[in-house]
Amino acid sequence: MTIHGNVHGEGSSKKNGLKIGNKLKVITAKTSLMALGVTFELCAKYVPEMKNEISDWEDGRNVGIGVLPTGPYITVRKDGEKFTYLGSGLQDAEISILFKNLDSAMMIFLGQLGAADAVAENRVCVQGQNYMAMQVTRAMAIVQTYLFPGFILRNTFKRPPKLNGQQIATKAKIMGLLTPKLIGASFK
Amino acid sequence: MLPDYYEFICPVKVLCGRKALSNLPYELKQLGASRPLVITDQGVVGAKLMDKVKAAFNDSDIEIAAIFEETPPDSSNHVVNEVAKLYQQNDCDSFVAVGGGSVIDTTKGVNVVVSEKTDDLLKFQGVDRISAAMQPFIAVPTTAGTGSEVTAAAVISNVDAGHKMALMSNKLYPQVAIVDPAMTMTMPAKITAATGMDAMTHAVEAYICIQKNPISDAYASAAIKLMREYLIKAVEDGSNDEARLGMANAALLAGISFSNSMVGIVHAMAHACGGVAHVPHGVANSILLPFGMEYNLEKVPQHISLLAHMLGVEVSGLDEKQKAEKAIEKIRQISEKLNGLCGLATRLRDAGVREDQLEQIATVALNDGALTYNPEEADYDDILKLLKAAY
Repeated sequence: MTIHGNVHGEGSSKKNGLKIGNKLKVITAKTSLMALGVTFELCAKYVPEMKNEISDWEDGRNVGIGVLPTGPYITVRKDGEKFTYLGSGLQDAEISILFKNLDSAMMIFLGQLGAADAVAENRVCVQGQNYMAMQVTRAMAIVQTYLFPGFILRNTFKRPPKLNGQQIATKAKIMGLLTPKLIGASFK
Repeated sequence: MLPDYYEFICPVKVLCGRKALSNLPYELKQLGASRPLVITDQGVVGAKLMDKVKAAFNDSDIEIAAIFEETPPDSSNHVVNEVAKLYQQNDCDSFVAVGGGSVIDTTKGVNVVVSEKTDDLLKFQGVDRISAAMQPFIAVPTTAGTGSEVTAAAVISNVDAGHKMALMSNKLYPQVAIVDPAMTMTMPAKITAATGMDAMTHAVEAYICIQKNPISDAYASAAIKLMREYLIKAVEDGSNDEARLGMANAALLAGISFSNSMVGIVHAMAHACGGVAHVPHGVANSILLPFGMEYNLEKVPQHISLLAHMLGVEVSGLDEKQKAEKAIEKIRQISEKLNGLCGLATRLRDAGVREDQLEQIATVALNDGALTYNPEEADYDDILKLLKAAY
């Protein structure tokens, strides 16, 4: 049997519901990725663990993160001691961490699944060298530590980070700077 | 507890048992192939195993189009490109890999180069980067073993960049694996022990790591039970065909298991020991396995405790943690027994690792993808501590 035309019927709430659901996922993914990109910048500036982690990365490394098959994507670039959020798209990324679909991406962005479990469940595909993927994963863990509240970290990390007083203050600073940075980044 | 979601694949047709090799021409024909390139190494040639492969074609109308016998122990992109040229010059239409992990991985790499019409494997590093249909490929393992005949990965050194490339794709699976115990009969005792412990590590890590699933557990469990029965026997008496068949099966089952549930900290450290200090993979795994299990004990005692049953340890009346400790003790006992039988190293220093290499090994291990799948988190200090304990 072949079904022609609009399966759900013109103007049906189910069809519109599907569309709205998907649109919301795309908006959430775009916002989450932007927040990730901006927090990479902030962590490189204010978080000693991040400075240490990227100290032996080569300058000019572009890191792509995004959602297959059609995005959204972002790229961050490492130069010296800093990360620069380059904006949307995969811009000559040497290493890309890509979610296979929006549903998989949502699980991470909404704190339902940790990075290791996302990899274990084959929800992620890596383009690039293995050792770079591991370095980026560790950097992303630092970003998530300063982006997510504690209860999400306890559910999604194999060994939830325990922040000392200094680190908690840094996290508060990053949270305070995030919104204005996001507004600026939305124009990239 | 079941995982929320998992994936499992094993598309390889397995022919396993006595005289399995005689089916090689038939299987090639089923794949539409008539001009295979046979890829092997000097070890296989020296053990006269290539004579068995050639003999399999005696009553067949298929002719081996070309043979490459120079695969090095650590394969590289240069070797892959050289073999690809041989394939094209001889108008080959299929591959037969006869050897251990390096030979099979080289063949996988050549298949990518030939099928994707490229000379740059670098573009295909990572996961699911290969899109072209691969040429027919039959693997004939001569060790028991790496399980490469049933895995979706190939690790090949990039000589120019100075690091190893990992390619992972379901397209890398051979269509057929011919597991004939006669092809492992000539393995010396120490290599039998080392490759056997490699298979043991595959099964154990597959059973406890975070990608484990009910299907891979079944394969891991079956593999461990076979190794409990046959590993020591195969080392004690290489002419014991039942033991050789048992170990060939065990390595195959362990390979299917870990290809679908990955490995963890033991392999991360073993890969690094191989890269930095040139410790053979099976030797490194054998040394590091009990230390890796101890490291994960607090995190997954429930999984490690079940290994005790599979290893044949008497555990009645013991609690979960005690059972897990017994399992680790049994692994140590097996290592000690193998050390007594054939000198298989039980400490890193006895495998040629220098103390001043441990920090570099820890740094390399930290960047190994296998660490992602380990149940317990591990940072540089954790890994260094383990390496020092194993030293």
